[in-house]
Amino acid sequence: MSAIELTEDTGRSRPSLTLWVGVVLVGLHVFIALLTVVWTPYDPLGMTGGRLEAPSWAHWAGTDRLGRDFFTQIMLGSQIALVVGAGAVAIGGAIGVSLGILAAFASRWLDDALAATLDILIAFPTLLIAMLVVAASDEASLFTAILAIGLALSAIVARLTRILAKRVLLLDYITAARTSGTSWPGIVVTHVLPNIWPTLAVNFALQFGLAAIAEASLSYLGLGAPPPNASWGHLLQEAQGTVYTAPIGAFAPGLALVILVVGINLLADGLRDFADPTRSARR
Amino acid sequence: MSTFPSRSVAVRLGRALLTAALLASVSAGAAMAQSYDKDATIRIGSLYEPQNLDNTAGAGQGINEAFNGNVYEALFQLTDTGSVEPVLAADYKVSDDGLTYTFTLRDGVTFHSGEPLTAADVKYSIERVTAETSKSSRKKSLSTITGIETPDDKTVVITLSSRSISLPYNLSYVWIVNDAATDITGTEDGTGPYKLAEWRRGSALSLSRFDGYWGDAPTNGEVLFQYFTDATALNNALLTNAVDIITSVQSPDSLAQFAGNPAFTVTEGASTTKELLAYNDRVAPFDNVKVRKALARAVDKAKLLNSIWGDYGTLIGSFVPPTDPWYVDLTGVDAYDVESAKALLAEAGYPDGFEFTLDTPDYDPHPIVAQFLQSEYSKIGVKVNINVITANEWYTKIYQAHDFQATLQEHVNHRDIVFYGNPDFYWGYNNPDVVKLIADSEAAATVDDQTAKLKEANTIIAEDAASNWLYLYPQIVVSAANVTGYPVNGLNAQFFAYDIEKAN
Repeated sequence: MSAIELTEDTGRSRPSLTLWVGVVLVGLHVFIALLTVVWTPYDPLGMTGGRLEAPSWAHWAGTDRLGRDFFTQIMLGSQIALVVGAGAVAIGGAIGVSLGILAAFASRWLDDALAATLDILIAFPTLLIAMLVVAASDEASLFTAILAIGLALSAIVARLTRILAKRVLLLDYITAARTSGTSWPGIVVTHVLPNIWPTLAVNFALQFGLAAIAEASLSYLGLGAPPPNASWGHLLQEAQGTVYTAPIGAFAPGLALVILVVGINLLADGLRDFADPTRSARR
Repeated sequence: MSTFPSRSVAVRLGRALLTAALLASVSAGAAMAQSYDKDATIRIGSLYEPQNLDNTAGAGQGINEAFNGNVYEALFQLTDTGSVEPVLAADYKVSDDGLTYTFTLRDGVTFHSGEPLTAADVKYSIERVTAETSKSSRKKSLSTITGIETPDDKTVVITLSSRSISLPYNLSYVWIVNDAATDITGTEDGTGPYKLAEWRRGSALSLSRFDGYWGDAPTNGEVLFQYFTDATALNNALLTNAVDIITSVQSPDSLAQFAGNPAFTVTEGASTTKELLAYNDRVAPFDNVKVRKALARAVDKAKLLNSIWGDYGTLIGSFVPPTDPWYVDLTGVDAYDVESAKALLAEAGYPDGFEFTLDTPDYDPHPIVAQFLQSEYSKIGVKVNINVITANEWYTKIYQAHDFQATLQEHVNHRDIVFYGNPDFYWGYNNPDVVKLIADSEAAATVDDQTAKLKEANTIIAEDAASNWLYLYPQIVVSAANVTGYPVNGLNAQFFAYDIEKAN
């Protein structure tokens, strides 16, 4: 990513700018998402305008085929993207960190088996795994989307956790703790997690962006929450047929998704510079 | 091949001329008929890939589009203008009591496999449709047939348990298949002007001219049906000259690309495709007429039609489109009126509304129609839960198992009001008066009598709000300007390709 190269070229002043831009972009979405819980410009289901109206003061992003305010739907899309991002990262993080720690502590045979399984899972695209999970459940809903994306992400988290934890376990003070009789759960809580946490946090932020994109893709394919849902992927899918007569329908949800994901990536890059002990050690 | 011009050839010529005249008037400068390529490949872009190649095995409307009149012929044909013309039947006689039909088959007809057409093939073909295992939607309409005799190779005698005035019409749905062919879900053996060249599942179906055809040879050499799952991709295929014709345009927005461009011809014909909200009339609350009438009144159908089709399409007040002989303008019955809808719901015992699940096929326009209904019904306190299903699920869950509360579906067939006379049909509408009227209309001695009875049945189903008929699709065909001679009405989703000409 170009942002990383920039920070390495120009030293310490840029990372904070990266972080700030990320915070502003993500903050905008968080603000909008929270706002939609209590207020939206129009009733999201209210057919208040004409068919495919162009943007105007009354309808900032125009209206859809049913005459519903498009800006309202994009705002609601923020809420869905953030809920899915947070939910998927929580599920993926919980499963992934547990598996990774388990592999790091396990016997060589089990560790190798887990590592190989994770490598195979990572070889499948996140979206494909998520589609399998959705297809296996009875009906598509927002929860199945969160679960599916979370499971798909857990393999990535698990592999990273395993590598980080194994690196920490080789350090001398761990050997000292072991010989002094500290139990392995004690070692995990007091030594391993505090050491790997900053790197994991940065990774979680990146996974958050991936989850938002995966949710949009699932909804685009009709595997997300059932209509009416204002997921950006679903909005894109509905706008596809009218892209020539009302291009804003395809443009606006795409822009919203880009702002969120770029914001999250910038945020993660900025966080890394503060939080990653290996990077600060290098400086 | 016969040396004298047969009636159906004359009809075909007349139709071709009419179509050509229509097209020429639509786009001045369209190529005239003289200079066309006799061996051209006509590439037809469609969204309706058949599930299989057997119309009695739940193949869907795509098989009618590709095969009716092209690969398979029937004793009679429903033409693009809505009349019924004899094809493989050279002649037929009806006994005075209307219970015995004697058909004489056309001479010199051979199947694509080379075998001649015999009376046994006709018997076999009709029995395929009426068989226990048949999934043909027209099975019920042939149920009056009690016996099929074949006194000689050229004669078929059908005896009926009761009069059936639309027997010739119903026989237009019965493909005449060689009786040596057993499983035709992946292959074919018909008598039409084209034979199946190749079916690439998921992509294309190609037909090539059958040199042993009994009638006039097609005006092109090959027909390629190319299947798309996405309307935008289909439109782009026409724009980039990857296909020559789109059989039915599914959104008004894509027409902006073609209308006013001299390289393309846009034609609006009369469709028979009806979008409807079908309730399961067997289950509460939809077994209550007042509830159904309330739901009919709560929907602003003019607004819905405009949302989906812009300025195209027609509003209908019942299941019968204006091209059926028993059409009555019933749009005034249960017209849009939210207040009276609320009052009716209260009378029916649902003053606070109710909640139901709407099984919605996952392709356009059903999901957007479902959202429109959800919004309209929320105004009368009725909560709609949208459950998106695939076309296959629709077939097994709703059409076969009747396991649903309400669903959305487009019904493409011509003259299909008879479905309301069948209490076992998926929507389970059961009004003894309608069942009787529809049965009696079949037993009518004259067409006028039949029409009068069906008009009455039509009015009753509208008054009963048996289903919620939302609108009639427009039938819009778009082609490259150098291609002419195609059917414009798409009755029964048929698409006869044999008169299509492609200018050099």
